[in-house]
Amino acid sequence: MRSVVVIILGFLATSPVIGHHSFTAEFDETKPVKLTGTVTQMRWSNPHGWIYIDVKGADGKVVNWACETGSVNGLYRRGWRKEDLLPGTVLTVEGWAARNGSPTMNSQSLLLPDGRRLFAGTSNNRSDEAK
Amino acid sequence: MIRAYVLIAGVVLAATPVLCQAQARPAAQPSRATSIPRLADGKPNLQGIWQVRNRAAYDLRDHHAHHGMPAGSSVIDGDDIPYLPAAAATRADNFKRRKELDPLEKCYMPGVPRIMYMEHPFQIFQTGTHLAMTFEWSQVFRLVYTDGSRHVDGIEFWMGDSRGRWEGDTLVVDVTNHNDKTWFDMAGDFHSADLRLVERYTLVDANTIDYEVTVEDPKVFARPWKMRMPLHRQIGMKRLLEYQCQAELEEANGAFERDQRTWYPDDPARQREATALAASMAMPPRPASLPPLTPSGQIARRPDGKPDLQGYFQPDSGGANYGLQRHAADFLTPASRGVVVDPADGQLPMQAWAVEERKKRELPERGYDDPTAHCFVAGVPRSMYTPSPYFFMQTPEYVVMLFERMSWRIVPLDGRAHLPDHVRLWQGDSVGRWDGDTLAIETTNLNGKTWLNEIGEIVSHAERVTERLVPVDAQTVRYEATVTDPVVYTRPWTIAVPLKREKQELLEVACHEDNQDLQHLKDVRDEARRGNTR
Repeated sequence: MRSVVVIILGFLATSPVIGHHSFTAEFDETKPVKLTGTVTQMRWSNPHGWIYIDVKGADGKVVNWACETGSVNGLYRRGWRKEDLLPGTVLTVEGWAARNGSPTMNSQSLLLPDGRRLFAGTSNNRSDEAK
Repeated sequence: MIRAYVLIAGVVLAATPVLCQAQARPAAQPSRATSIPRLADGKPNLQGIWQVRNRAAYDLRDHHAHHGMPAGSSVIDGDDIPYLPAAAATRADNFKRRKELDPLEKCYMPGVPRIMYMEHPFQIFQTGTHLAMTFEWSQVFRLVYTDGSRHVDGIEFWMGDSRGRWEGDTLVVDVTNHNDKTWFDMAGDFHSADLRLVERYTLVDANTIDYEVTVEDPKVFARPWKMRMPLHRQIGMKRLLEYQCQAELEEANGAFERDQRTWYPDDPARQREATALAASMAMPPRPASLPPLTPSGQIARRPDGKPDLQGYFQPDSGGANYGLQRHAADFLTPASRGVVVDPADGQLPMQAWAVEERKKRELPERGYDDPTAHCFVAGVPRSMYTPSPYFFMQTPEYVVMLFERMSWRIVPLDGRAHLPDHVRLWQGDSVGRWDGDTLAIETTNLNGKTWLNEIGEIVSHAERVTERLVPVDAQTVRYEATVTDPVVYTRPWTIAVPLKREKQELLEVACHEDNQDLQHLKDVRDEARRGNTR
């Protein structure tokens, strides 16, 4: 069942964008980011959800990154529930870093270790459009 | 037939014992069955504008006054909230630190039941399948399903999930799916996410609802308890206005700044100029180049013969929230297919200053200035093409739009005059009429604080809008909006967006309560003001 959902979401990831604010204003085109880390929590919130991951840097220091996802209403309507993403899950997140220099990024793709795509994979997808 | 039903319902009710404390019950309980208004289906007609006249929002129990908290009498059966020992300690701490901890101090949604007894009016709209409550306070709403549907599962809301049924002449509403972040009152009375409410609404006369709530939360209370109070019809109040809690707060503390060119002026002399200016661009007739406004297929109709608009819709916005004109995607700003249908070239007829201002609004440091980034309401027509669903309630007297991002528009169909021009609202003052199968809505009294979309297309206090909604087939409503705004544009313009009917229910977007982005946008703006651009 879940694998069916994942496949559908892979399709959705190609859909255009949504937000309640300008992503272009918040995130920096010159700062692409690709990080692998361990989920510490998911904030199940609107109009965007947030996944927090612990990422170990080259210096061994662990930084907790905030990765913006689509709205939880969009995720809920597509069958996802709060319990579906457990702390400890390893995720690779690709996107762009926030302009303000904080460990914050939008998420263009969220990949599980086996290569499956989590959610729609992007924080600026048409997450609450029910297409 | 209806009379027979009414008679039976009256007999059932008369036999039902009324349990309450004398102090909290309405002063008089006249014979019910004959004197209350009813809908055509025989159900008590709860529609109208209502408000309490008590101090329950400060403290549900008997209490003397404190600074900022007027004294009041109990609305609780027995004046006792049966807290478990640990919860009683939490409540005592909440009371001491209420200025710091009360969620309402941050303009967070009050939850149910607190919203019901705040010192703000609310309006009830009622059909056979749904009952909507629209609140003046921050344009919060409740949509109560009376269609036999079940609660949603696995998701929490600030305002809970409400499912109602009629027991005789009493509307009984189960409210579940609460979060653990709301309070019952300013005094720190609280609950957990296990809260369950049963509300009972009974019209005791034409102008009084007996409102009773049974509260159950085994994590916090030793046993269920009840509150009860009258809701009074606001006789003489013709419409709800707005109290946008967070917007008022941010304007007062400087976090949201006036745009001198677009906001409605404070100075009375300039207000008179604004009125004259707005009237200088006439609302045109519908452009002849547009397709005819007639249903092309079978459409459903209400019992009064009008097209049936009630239900859940998702606008097929075509990227209008990122630009009304056709444009390609640019980094994280998506493409727009272009929704301007007049002028024919699809371009907004902007004045020269507006072209320059719109370019500036697209700079990263201006992202903070988009009111929707602050989670303020989107205005007209933006509310209609923000890519988020909404629900239309339709009665013979009103069409009400409930937006999932927690705001509403109320459109009376009685041909009333608009508000005095100096009264300005985020969603404006809308008056509608049926023109054949088209719902035509005129909106004035807009405040000029909204943006048309994320790229900063502009409207001002001189904006006036004519909208047309016509069901073109069973699944689609054609939506058009013609805008006049002589502060910003050289001529009127019109957009068209299809609205798609879907079999879904509204959820809730708690935007301000969960807004993580605004601080980032503020950091970018503040950095730019210090002279650095990233």
